[in-house]
Amino acid sequence: MIKLTNVSFTYTGGREDAGVRNINLTIRPGEVVLVCGESGCGKTTLTRMVNGLIPHFYEGELTGTIYVGAKDVAKSELYDLARTVGSVFQNPRSQFFNVDTTSELAFGCENLGIAEDEILTRVRKTVADLSISHLLDRSIFELSDGEKQKIACGSVSVLGPDIYVLDEPTSNLDFETIAALRRVLSFWKATGKTILVAEHRLHFMKGIADRVIFMREGEIRETHEGAEFFALPPRYFEERGLRIPSLDRLPAAETAEADLPSDPIRIEKMRVSLRGEPILNIPALEIPSGGIIAVIGANGAGKTTFARSLCGLVSGDRSVVTFRGRALNAKKRLSVCYLVMQDVNHQLFTESVLDEVLLSMSVEDETRADETLLSLDLSAFREDHPMALSGGQKQRVAIASALVSEREILVFDEPTSGLDLVHMRETARNIAALKRNGVTSFVVTHDPEFILACCTHVIRIEAGEISGNYPLDSSGVKNLTAFFRHDESMAERT
Amino acid sequence: MRSDFFASSKGSAQKIFDPRTKLLMVVTISTVVMADSGGGWMSVLCWILTFVPLALFLIERKWKAALIYFCVYWGATLMQLYLLPLTTGVVNFLLVAMSFFSVRFMPGIAMASYLVNTTTVSEFMGAMERMRVPQSLSIPLSVVFRFFPTVSEEYTAIGDAMRMRGIRFGGRKPAKMIEYRLVPLLVSCVKIGDELSAAALTRGLGAPIRRTNVCEIGIKPQDVFTMAVCAAMILLFIFEKI
Repeated sequence: MIKLTNVSFTYTGGREDAGVRNINLTIRPGEVVLVCGESGCGKTTLTRMVNGLIPHFYEGELTGTIYVGAKDVAKSELYDLARTVGSVFQNPRSQFFNVDTTSELAFGCENLGIAEDEILTRVRKTVADLSISHLLDRSIFELSDGEKQKIACGSVSVLGPDIYVLDEPTSNLDFETIAALRRVLSFWKATGKTILVAEHRLHFMKGIADRVIFMREGEIRETHEGAEFFALPPRYFEERGLRIPSLDRLPAAETAEADLPSDPIRIEKMRVSLRGEPILNIPALEIPSGGIIAVIGANGAGKTTFARSLCGLVSGDRSVVTFRGRALNAKKRLSVCYLVMQDVNHQLFTESVLDEVLLSMSVEDETRADETLLSLDLSAFREDHPMALSGGQKQRVAIASALVSEREILVFDEPTSGLDLVHMRETARNIAALKRNGVTSFVVTHDPEFILACCTHVIRIEAGEISGNYPLDSSGVKNLTAFFRHDESMAERT
Repeated sequence: MRSDFFASSKGSAQKIFDPRTKLLMVVTISTVVMADSGGGWMSVLCWILTFVPLALFLIERKWKAALIYFCVYWGATLMQLYLLPLTTGVVNFLLVAMSFFSVRFMPGIAMASYLVNTTTVSEFMGAMERMRVPQSLSIPLSVVFRFFPTVSEEYTAIGDAMRMRGIRFGGRKPAKMIEYRLVPLLVSCVKIGDELSAAALTRGLGAPIRRTNVCEIGIKPQDVFTMAVCAAMILLFIFEKI
């Protein structure tokens, strides 16, 4: 179904994405193949060669031949390939051409000139197959990331291609939605489709993947049968920088020292509504200060709203946060708390790392700025443009600007989404270092490996309300793993 | 511009006008109001036209957009009438520039915002196809159309980041405000635009065939009436200029 022969590709035009070398790969009809490997190993490039974005959209030097079905990818037009290959991408925010769900589902068929009645029939069938009929006629901007990704799957399914290509589809998803995605994949597999998935998260592919390919430095290094791969020992994954293959294998955390709740953070009357609908309601909440607090819950439960309210970014917010003897209203929190955004590009403004730090100081002090940069391992990039740094480095620049402005509470919004093991650990180290500086961190996350790597406390938000609040000691760890497993198995059953 | 002003449209809402009518209204209001030379019966017409976006906002229950438009437009008009004669020098110059801009451009901008607000991308593309606009023009235009809400989303996020760092008018380095806002905005818009195009192309956008379209657009009696009024306006306007 898919056949790559001696394929090499290098990007031109200043792209930093990794190319691939000497790829030979044959995928049979109906086979499900998972591609894994560290960031920059070339797995995304591989998916682009199958859906035709290489060489038709991303420029570069391509050698070798790629066949998809009977079509030579290099010689076919993208709209031709669209009938055979359907693609789902990583970022739910940027893969919708329309702003309402129904048009989005119909979009692919419209482009290929399929008759209107036929399209409507197909849309109805697809939403029934994927159980997403409740998402019809909605504005894209009202959907949670999980719902967006379901629509993305639906909108390729409507076209009924023989091959599905998914590039890191679970990056922004909670466990329940990941399980829903797994059901969609099973459905496609059961109907005989060929599927290629490039991913960091592996556990949800267990039992679906027929074959697993491990890539490094642009080459295919290893190929495993699916069942064999998922039974490999933990050491195998660790050595290759891969995420855990199963939730049963969550590494045991070093039990966090019991934090003294003698001086807790108190949150009161945190109520936020959107167009009259309450989306967050926390009458009172006490959390120990000085730790790293994981904020968990489903996509759309109100976690990001909680983060924004904590930082004083919600307008008309009447909540009060009592911290170290001070009662802080929303306006005061603007200068005590700091949000490190999921898209950290939004908060880097200047032309050099040093300027970025100086900008945040009330009085510019280069010596202190340099000390902070040194402590965050950024001195070498002092004069570099922030946009030229890697994701983890950008994150540290944002942390640096928060530290020099003497913020005592840092809030991270999904800092590890789409990160491989090495980069996830880098982020965990960055945040753990803050704790030693006496900073309290809140981390909104869906990543159990990350939580166990550095967090000390967990709060859980469901449907806008606090439904869990416990320290991450040995019984807390049990609670947490139960939450992630329960979430997964619940969704599995429905 | 608040994000509400360029928010997106839901698919299912009952539509009063066809997208083509709305486009014509944007063209009519912006040209006629912008080029109004002042005085005479044409100015009275212009003045009546400025109420059209307000009325439409109210019908669509876009209270906030209506309020913003009403305040900016009438604020500027009152300023022209009562405040300008009292000022001199630089202040006068700034006020003249501000109020002139608001009075001349606001009705057109408000009308365009109404168009974006109440038209889905799909309807817009449908309208372009019915008008036989070639794909080489209609696709880039739809991308622009699609981009308004995204830009406003990104703009809001960057605004949050700036507030957290205390960068605001009256803070330090006010001159750099615009740069700080635009650099991250451009970076993220380029990235999103890139990914958006890639996603659309893998779903067959740009195929050299006639697209179909599932949304229901069509000329209704109110469209015919409005189009006739717009055409009459433009004719009157040309007649007056000659």
